[in-house]
Amino acid sequence: MSIVESKNVSFVYAVHDENGNVVDSIRALNDVSLKVGQGEFITILGHNGSGKSTFAKHINAILFPSGGTIFVDGMDTQDGEHLLDIRQTAGMVFQNPDNQIIGTVVEEEVGFGPENLGLPTSEIWNRVVSALKSVGMFEYRKTSPNKLSGGQKQRIAIAGIIAMRPKCIVLDEPTAMLDPQGRAEVIKTLHELNEKEHVTVILITHYMEEVIDADYCFVMNGGELVMEGKPKDIFSNVEGLKNLRLDVPQVTELADELIKKGFPLPKGIIKREQLVEELIKLKNQGFKAPQSYREVEA
Amino acid sequence: MLRDITLGQYYPAQSVIHKLDPRVKLAATLVYIISLFIGMNVEIYIAAALFLVITVKLSKVPVSYITRGLKAIVLLIIFSAAFNLFLTSGETLVSFGPITITKEGARFAVFMIIRLIFLIMGTSLLTLTTTPNNLTDGLEKAFAILKVVKVPVHEIAMMMSIALRFIPILVDETDKIMKAQMARGADFETGNIIRRSKAMVPILVPLFISAFRRANDLAMAMEARCYHGSEGRTKMKPLKYTKRDACGYISLLLYLAVMIGLNIYAGGRVI
Repeated sequence: MSIVESKNVSFVYAVHDENGNVVDSIRALNDVSLKVGQGEFITILGHNGSGKSTFAKHINAILFPSGGTIFVDGMDTQDGEHLLDIRQTAGMVFQNPDNQIIGTVVEEEVGFGPENLGLPTSEIWNRVVSALKSVGMFEYRKTSPNKLSGGQKQRIAIAGIIAMRPKCIVLDEPTAMLDPQGRAEVIKTLHELNEKEHVTVILITHYMEEVIDADYCFVMNGGELVMEGKPKDIFSNVEGLKNLRLDVPQVTELADELIKKGFPLPKGIIKREQLVEELIKLKNQGFKAPQSYREVEA
Repeated sequence: MLRDITLGQYYPAQSVIHKLDPRVKLAATLVYIISLFIGMNVEIYIAAALFLVITVKLSKVPVSYITRGLKAIVLLIIFSAAFNLFLTSGETLVSFGPITITKEGARFAVFMIIRLIFLIMGTSLLTLTTTPNNLTDGLEKAFAILKVVKVPVHEIAMMMSIALRFIPILVDETDKIMKAQMARGADFETGNIIRRSKAMVPILVPLFISAFRRANDLAMAMEARCYHGSEGRTKMKPLKYTKRDACGYISLLLYLAVMIGLNIYAGGRVI
């Protein structure tokens, strides 16, 4: 069964001038239809202004479609009655860790969601403890969030969502403001949650490295869904991605360049080990680098 | 300079004061403020100082941490002391030209300084030993009665706790903006007061813009986590009075009685 299903979703917003008159309307989403299955790890790729964040806010019922419908776990987001249920089912983590932390102590921050759900005190504590353990931040429970690193703050934000026991977590560029180490921490945490607790993860990003291990990937451009498929298939289309102003992982780019120079490598290499393996295989087969390549070398 | 603001900051520690119910601490702060204005004689101030010293010792908050908060109000202290010193009429102590310092003026000035210092130390101890969430929980409970007359107690409490959380973040931000402006040649340190305050305007504009943006983001994050006001909301740390709190209230009453007693004993005498 699909946890998120969007049917021909469009979103139009008006631009006002200083006097409040409508001067323009911008179509941020255009006819987006997709399905996400329970327990999957999904990424939505796109450069700035591609509409990916706008789409994310639709899943959490923060924005409502101008046309079409979004169903979250079978509930229509425009149905006011289910608003809180939808927000509980699809938790959302935002880009800036500082602007989404409400509590002044880590454990209070994680408890904010369960408090809003009206759970009994003992249950709130159970959830806070298990959520903090599942993101590996339990020993920081008494610390002030201001004293944590960006990656740790973002893990706390994820714990805050986990504590509400959502079926699905939507992350809107959670690593954009983090250093490489922080990014790795957050992504690792997400994969663990996905594997151990079977939470559906919808990761919105423009970092290619974060897409590699996903089950499925959607690419957005100009408010439309332009590509979809397994990461391997998406990255086989290096030219197509470059046209969308997206980078491919370095390894993929290297492999692509090698193919252009006449190396008989398979398409869709996304991991370093994979490339190394393929090259060794070629060497063992007695493959000699093409003429054009040897000239460059000399 | 901006990092010296300790007002509204929480100092994590394990102490009796930290564990007290926030309502007790709120009452204590109120009683302490009132007690400072009961009278103006040495005995009362010694008692107030003793009370403060004992609470600070019990709270395990380093004294240097509390006094750092005083730096922010040095100007205020100097001003109010100066006004008292020069503008109180009475028996002349010294006079040069049009300025006269009276005996009463000198007394008032000294007391004003002590009063303000005690006031700030006492009140900052409240926020230093109480997490903002705990504090607002306390306020919400203490003023819950106002809900009857439709005062949005929970909303006000929530706003306060968020404001407190954002103080350090906005301070950092101001610092960053100042440095960015300084890197482009802005001068905040020379010139007279008017010139220096004019130089602050280019800091305030970006600061306000970013504060609004943060507020917007935070509101969205809160909504995304099912926040919908106080209705149907439960507490992770519900407030419950314990024996410790009873002791707190009793010692508070004792303190107030001692202060009133001392004032009667002194017969309203100044100094």
